[in-house]
Amino acid sequence: MSLNKIKKPLLIALVMALLTSVFTGCSSGTTDSNTENADAGAAAAENGEKVLVIGFDQDSDIMDTMRTAWYSDALIYIHDRLITRDYEFNYKPGLAESWDVSEDGTVWTFHLRKDVKFHNGKPFTAEDVKWTIDTIKDPDTASPFREDLAAIKEVEVIDDHTVRFILEYPFPNLLYNLSATAAGIHPANAYEEYGDDYGKKVVIGTGPYKLEEWIPGDKTVLVKNEDYNWGPEWMENRGPALIDKIVLKIIPDENSRIMELEVGGIHILRNVPETYVEQLDNNPDITVHKNPATKLGYLAYATDKEPFTDVRVRRAINHALNKEEIIQFVFKGMGEPAYGYLPPALKDEYLEESQELAYEYDPDKAKQLLAEAGYADGLELTLSADNSSKSSKLAEIIQNQLKEVGINTNIQLYDSASYTDMLKEGKQELFIREYSWSNADIIDWFLLSERFPYPNHSRWVDEKTDELIKSAARQPTWEERAEGYKEVQRYLIDQAVWAPIYIPVQMIAVRKEVKNFKYHPWMLQYNDGFDIEAK
Amino acid sequence: MLKYIVKRLILMIPVLLLMTLVVFSIFYFAPGDPVSRIAGPNVTEEVYKSIQKKYGLDQPFVVQYLRFLKSVAEGDLGISILQDRPVLEMIKERLPVTLQIGLLGFAITFAIAIPAGVAAAVKKNTAVDYLCMTGSLLGIAVPTFWLGMLLLYVFAYKLRWFPISGDGSFKQLVLPGFAIGLTNAAITARMVRSSMLEVLKQDYVRTARSKGLLEKTVVYRHALKNALIPVITLMGLRLGWILGGSVALEIIFSIPGIGRLMVDAILSRDFPVVQGSMLVLTSSIILANILADILYAIVDPRIRYG
Repeated sequence: MSLNKIKKPLLIALVMALLTSVFTGCSSGTTDSNTENADAGAAAAENGEKVLVIGFDQDSDIMDTMRTAWYSDALIYIHDRLITRDYEFNYKPGLAESWDVSEDGTVWTFHLRKDVKFHNGKPFTAEDVKWTIDTIKDPDTASPFREDLAAIKEVEVIDDHTVRFILEYPFPNLLYNLSATAAGIHPANAYEEYGDDYGKKVVIGTGPYKLEEWIPGDKTVLVKNEDYNWGPEWMENRGPALIDKIVLKIIPDENSRIMELEVGGIHILRNVPETYVEQLDNNPDITVHKNPATKLGYLAYATDKEPFTDVRVRRAINHALNKEEIIQFVFKGMGEPAYGYLPPALKDEYLEESQELAYEYDPDKAKQLLAEAGYADGLELTLSADNSSKSSKLAEIIQNQLKEVGINTNIQLYDSASYTDMLKEGKQELFIREYSWSNADIIDWFLLSERFPYPNHSRWVDEKTDELIKSAARQPTWEERAEGYKEVQRYLIDQAVWAPIYIPVQMIAVRKEVKNFKYHPWMLQYNDGFDIEAK
Repeated sequence: MLKYIVKRLILMIPVLLLMTLVVFSIFYFAPGDPVSRIAGPNVTEEVYKSIQKKYGLDQPFVVQYLRFLKSVAEGDLGISILQDRPVLEMIKERLPVTLQIGLLGFAITFAIAIPAGVAAAVKKNTAVDYLCMTGSLLGIAVPTFWLGMLLLYVFAYKLRWFPISGDGSFKQLVLPGFAIGLTNAAITARMVRSSMLEVLKQDYVRTARSKGLLEKTVVYRHALKNALIPVITLMGLRLGWILGGSVALEIIFSIPGIGRLMVDAILSRDFPVVQGSMLVLTSSIILANILADILYAIVDPRIRYG
């Protein structure tokens, strides 16, 4: 019973066609990049090319600071900003050599560097600054960054190297907003010039690295900008970077990321999970740098609902939490207790006396306050959190601690998109949040009454808070603004609007091949003297 | 035969339409939308709404669904909300590597399952049989992703024969291919064995033997070919499972295939991408089943399609 004479060739042809189409035709893209990689590897061995590989868990969707808030770290190095922040978090000149602010704080004049060139060879001028700011402010761009520049009424080009910002009201926080990743300067008319490719295949900046290749979901390859010699004054190396290439590699699985780090497939891993720290600390090839993060974890509650309308209940919840125990249980002791509403790393704005003013762990006091408020028999509440393993652990221990003082809670976990939706709809009672932000204006986001019901998810609508925040935000100078925010924090602590819990540790694992690693609290500056052994 | 194929292909259309409607409804009514990712945690309601408007997400259900169908009809499968690129282009980038892993897995499956199944059947109730069947029981019990992690740990991390995360080389396909191949071979080998045992009892096998043919010829030319028919059905159904099952492997082995594309899109609520990849996956499962039906006719002359 052999195959039919006609059918056999047909079968073979079918299988061959399938195989060839899959392994040759379709894969032409990957094959090309393979050979390229192999060539690059060979060349690297010959020229001693220095390549730094950094591991990430997720990629961004689009390489454009103006169109998403989900940035790739690559954009930090592709673009420069008017203002920079040094290792101590001070504001320092960037593309702007200097700037003066009018006495009332509403006119800012920036004097730009004259020696700067974009990656496409064009000189950097005031027109580029104007185009970037105007594009972000244009509602058609639908930029998530638009709101941050709301204070700017107009950008005027005075001459090629002078640009003036006219503000609606004094707004010292412009310093922060203009030094953020989102404020990277693009060449004027980039959208017209590069069309649909801009933000996908092409991104042009003046930064120390240029975009060589981006394969979404896989990797981003940056190559050093040989012409770069306009590094900010606080950098040790103001010229071209020492490392030839930076590869941002996406490795979605946590375990695989750690393994790659251990075998040297990646050199730097940010946000190392606490569970791996001990293992990496014991590895002689790896150093884990631990610094306090500009993040804050807290327990919040819907302050417009019973029983949270009563300040005694809010204070009781604060007294019920044993922060040290929580940090020990959830983060293996890595982290600091939080007392105020800002992370201490924001040295200008942080309120030093937060700890003295805050509510120490005291379950008896908590019970007493609850009794005074009329809840001597205890309370039944829901406790919501996102479904990450960290948050569920937090929920578990908070549930236990609250139980000690007579508050029984039901834990409800949500995936992150549903969690946001639930908070918007206002179904929350007690809920766990962590923010990551390095500016005092986070308080505006979460607690101004005009942000109700979201992002003001603690549903805090309070005239005095609004007044204090607005007055702080519109002071003419940065120093007066910082003082204003300290006043806000004193009031918030007194009102127990949240129950702050922890400041996590920022953990960055670095392999021994990386030389001269310097921690920066905001953006790691790989071009500032970082070096790596050639392959 | 041709008429049959055309009929089957036409029948695909309502199935695919229903699938898109279900997926679309789930995304429309499920909480969360892609704007929260674009906007980040700190934007006002006004900015949020303006972004929603830009991508047409403020439109009613029917308008959004019809717009999606229109883009399918135009052939680009819609535009990803987050990446602002045609979904078809994204799928084209991601599909080849998934297919490569799948086909390698398939090849490994057959390379192991057929000899093992035949050997177990021919040497029934001997040590060879027990060895093969115990091995296959193990293979069935082990989940693919777990086997993947094990292979990664031993061959990539400890022995360093293979890359830990995908590097675009052929080597990156080997371990996930084996993870698929080994687990699938387990179930396939059992199928080959029982099917072979059935066939070996048939009269024509006895006839072949009594003609004095070599045992090898009897087993491979006469028995195996008939025993493969149920195995082909199984493989047709398994193809979908392999494509879907590669999601976990693509994550573990850091390979940017279509499975990861879909999972990322689900998490960020980028529904045109989910729709597009679901469409491709569903079509390939249906096509695989049609292909299996065609293969029957080729392998078994008794089967004819009118």
